[in-house]
Amino acid sequence: MTDTSAPPPALTPSRPVYDGKLGELYGIYLRHLLLMVLTLGWSRFWGRTRLRRYLWSHFSVLGDRFEYRGRGLELFIGFVLVLLILGLWAGLVWLVWHFSIERRAVPGFGVLDVFYISVAFIGFPLAFVGQYTGLRYRLSRTRWRGIRGAQAGSAWSYGAMATALNFANAMTGQLMTPLVSVNLARPRITGAAIGTQRFEFAGRAGDIYGRYIGYYFLNIAVWIAVIGLTATAFGIGGAKLGVDQAKITEIFTKPGLTTVLIIVIAFLVVSTLFGVLILPLRCWWQAYLFRYLVARVRAGPVLFATAIGTRHMWSFMVVNYLIVVMTLGLGWPWVMHRTLRLIANELWIYGVPDGAAIRQPPDKGPNYGEGLLDMFDVSGV
Amino acid sequence: MAGPARYYDGITASVTEVGAKWGIGELIIYRPDDFSIVARWRLEDLVVLGDTEHEAVPLVSVAGSDARLVVVEPALRTELARVAYLAALDAPRPKAAPRVLKLGAALVVLVAAFFGLVDYGSEYAAPLVPYRLQAKVGREVRDELLAGRTLCKGTEGLKAINDLANRLARTGELGHPVGVTIVKGGPVNAFTLPGGYLVFYSELIDQAKDGEQVAGVLAHEIGHAVNEHPIKGMARQYGINLLLGLLTGGYSDLGTLGSGSSLLLALRNGRAFEREADATGIRLLEKRGLRADGMSRFFEQLMQHEPADTALSLGIWSDHPPTAERIAATKRPPTGRPAFTEQEWKALRSVCD
Repeated sequence: MTDTSAPPPALTPSRPVYDGKLGELYGIYLRHLLLMVLTLGWSRFWGRTRLRRYLWSHFSVLGDRFEYRGRGLELFIGFVLVLLILGLWAGLVWLVWHFSIERRAVPGFGVLDVFYISVAFIGFPLAFVGQYTGLRYRLSRTRWRGIRGAQAGSAWSYGAMATALNFANAMTGQLMTPLVSVNLARPRITGAAIGTQRFEFAGRAGDIYGRYIGYYFLNIAVWIAVIGLTATAFGIGGAKLGVDQAKITEIFTKPGLTTVLIIVIAFLVVSTLFGVLILPLRCWWQAYLFRYLVARVRAGPVLFATAIGTRHMWSFMVVNYLIVVMTLGLGWPWVMHRTLRLIANELWIYGVPDGAAIRQPPDKGPNYGEGLLDMFDVSGV
Repeated sequence: MAGPARYYDGITASVTEVGAKWGIGELIIYRPDDFSIVARWRLEDLVVLGDTEHEAVPLVSVAGSDARLVVVEPALRTELARVAYLAALDAPRPKAAPRVLKLGAALVVLVAAFFGLVDYGSEYAAPLVPYRLQAKVGREVRDELLAGRTLCKGTEGLKAINDLANRLARTGELGHPVGVTIVKGGPVNAFTLPGGYLVFYSELIDQAKDGEQVAGVLAHEIGHAVNEHPIKGMARQYGINLLLGLLTGGYSDLGTLGSGSSLLLALRNGRAFEREADATGIRLLEKRGLRADGMSRFFEQLMQHEPADTALSLGIWSDHPPTAERIAATKRPPTGRPAFTEQEWKALRSVCD
């Protein structure tokens, strides 16, 4: 007998392997799009499931591929349930409107406005709850070596904490970002498990605050520089072309071809400056944060690390975004493919788990999933 | 027959490298080094999890169990797939390039068909929406658009413009009444909403040289109503947005570009509607024996205020045809009865006072 799960020398390094092929992924994606048009979007639950099956199955750790066992029907039921709850909410809003607001409402402000405002209001915290329950669903349908994943912890607590932290962060001019990042990563990581093997997280916001403060003020300085450079460029350009204040007012109050040209040039100048100066800085911070978070995770005897750098983060954040936008969404499979390749290339796993000690979790996870995520959040695959 | 496969017992995360072979009515999983048996799975309980399209290696399991057999070696997969229960294990993997080409072509055809359907549906099916519903939508949109704006209350002026609007609507065989609301202030504009709700800005009336010019604009708006443009436009916009949403997956970041494309289509649509409304408006005025020169004169006046034709310079980005083209198409001699009496025109001029 060869039991490959027996622990070899500690901290043997390995990397995940992704062996998906872009052409095959596109085959699945195009069929999904075709069905989406034919069914007016109702096939998306099944399409998403097929894509996950492909991606999970082509990703392996320590020679063992992941398995996705979710079903489209489960996602469909999750969505319908949330739809029903929203219907009930709409009924409740109508009752409140009809019996207390309608007589005092200002003209042009109808029951639909009240409904949309209320949904927008509850949608923000519910998106976080949805992210957590979505994670729980996906992990419960993910298997490695036949063992189910799991996500413990309360999604509602996570939603409340995420809402409060994001609100506080917005109120303090984003100065709480390290606190938000670390404290929201903690429940997601420590709640996650493969079978009975829980993940642990040893991150502390204090570790990364110094670097964040540096980034924060550098970012402000760069913004000032970008705005200054833009204004100077337009000032010099305008002076050379003999454009004065009156001419500018005329151009923008009476739009014509010149207005369109000016807007296009302005967009190009600002996006170039933004792309060259601000985005690399942001990518540098995100890469640092990612390296920090990954390095503070362990699963029993297994440690994790990544050497992901600013260039990788640029490729992940900026190039992927451009691919999706420029292809009007048709580039999604390419983005997923690139992302999994990046993870496979840049994630290092040290050590091997004690397979015999990891047992199937007693909990089978939720019966349906991702309804909230589908309704209140932009959820990809 | 033996070959490398991996066995997960479904209880722990242990991995055992195994071989597998067919026994009588069962699949025998064994350790290759000492041939000791790891598991015996009955033929009728065997299941293949997934397929070769989605799974790199479809897993073999038994019903109701978490245990899995991963047949890594292709030769062994072929061997096991000879038995019907595991045939799916070695099903041919779809070839990527022909599949992508075929599905891509099908998608293009389907999208074209969808556009055709939206075009047909908005032209022929949208007007079938009951008037009551159209009116409800129009009323809500009007209330929302005009919230906070001051409405003009001059009874006689409102009666004058509403009477003319309804006479023109009847001439155009519009099956329901229309209502004109006048908003105090600018811009120099007017528009028509579903259900026969017309909105005029008082600045348009202020800048008009005479009642014929206002009547020309009014006839143009009634032209929109008679041709059911508002509901057709809404249906088309909804259809295009739906298609873009489906194709882009509804991702919020794509909304900008998506709406950009749909805007282009809507604007092309808008230009066709404007031309049709101009022609219908002129026809209605002439049919009632009213002076029809007001519309082109109003356009000329706009041109005098703005010599560089905005619609022309913006090209495809404009939702209106070039003004010069509209003037040429709507030019009529100053013959026929005036649309408003002196008294009505005077009342209309002071409708916001």
